[in-house]
Amino acid sequence: MGQPSNRRYQVVRTFARRNDMTFVLPERVYDELTVNAPDVETPPIDTAIDEGWARVAAPLEYTNALVSRTMDGVQRYIANADDRPADKIERADPALAGVAAQAFVDETADHAYIYTTDTLAGEGAENIFASEGYDDSVTYVNGFRFVEDLLE
Amino acid sequence: MSRTSNRTNGDVIRDFLSVADLLEEPQLAQLYAYLAREEEATVQELMNELDLAQGTAYTYVNRLVDAGVIEATTDEQPRVYVARDINLTVTAADGAREYTITPALIDAIARRTTDDDIDTYIDRHGIAGLATALTYTIDRERGEVTHRLMARDLDISPLAAEIILQALHPVVHEHFDIEEAGASVADIEGVDRDIASDDA
Repeated sequence: MGQPSNRRYQVVRTFARRNDMTFVLPERVYDELTVNAPDVETPPIDTAIDEGWARVAAPLEYTNALVSRTMDGVQRYIANADDRPADKIERADPALAGVAAQAFVDETADHAYIYTTDTLAGEGAENIFASEGYDDSVTYVNGFRFVEDLLE
Repeated sequence: MSRTSNRTNGDVIRDFLSVADLLEEPQLAQLYAYLAREEEATVQELMNELDLAQGTAYTYVNRLVDAGVIEATTDEQPRVYVARDINLTVTAADGAREYTITPALIDAIARRTTDDDIDTYIDRHGIAGLATALTYTIDRERGEVTHRLMARDLDISPLAAEIILQALHPVVHEHFDIEEAGASVADIEGVDRDIASDDA
């Protein structure tokens, strides 16, 4: 979405505010967005957090059965699609599904919208939650389509 | 080596050098990519669409015709030009990697004039690197790989991978027929998507 001065950043912020929404990021994803950017003083995600429309999820409880099953499931789904061993898949990809599973376990949400530009991770999450009986509770939102539609 | 095969080699080298010119000069690449995308155009249309001065437009068109990558379809005025298909496989200097120069790659290179992310990526990883990133972009749009797997394979940060994948996203959808998966704003229940009165 780029810097806060970027129109893409601004439409997502406006959408979140208008609908009183907060985007939740897995810790691993937050870490990725805030390292290796020495030429940027404040990473855009920190600005979004300061502005109150994004936050970092609490650490995932891997001991919880649903959290660990969905994360393992998504990891295998990605590994199968790309034909590589599951242990070579970054844990940040399944973490998106992990955050949704944690919210279901904690009963802080009854529907999760997973925003990602990685179709494979999004479809993997939908697929695994369906096999866990959460068919209608998880929606993968294509990050590109989402922002393009807001820009229209 | 026979004289015939020498001549064939000569043609291949000539083709390669003309394509190499395209890769070196984003403005030429841009003109070629436009023709590849729009099927055909006159010089006047190229001037309007690509915002070129008349002299510049004729110079570029003549160079591309001389190079054999575009051609006029008629001798009548105004001449209509079309792109000739380019599909050239190159082995990178280390011999380990191979990439194919396609209209999509030339289009991606052409965009470095207006897209800082593509420009930076070529500066860091070269045309061969961009060709690799384009392949990953196609695979990701097809739901076969994620940006983190690309980052791991190429030993770059996930953020760097995501940035170039996003920059190449429009190129891929311009040249390949891939349906965009997933839901969008309209599928999110109970939200107001009207953000016309932007408070930003």
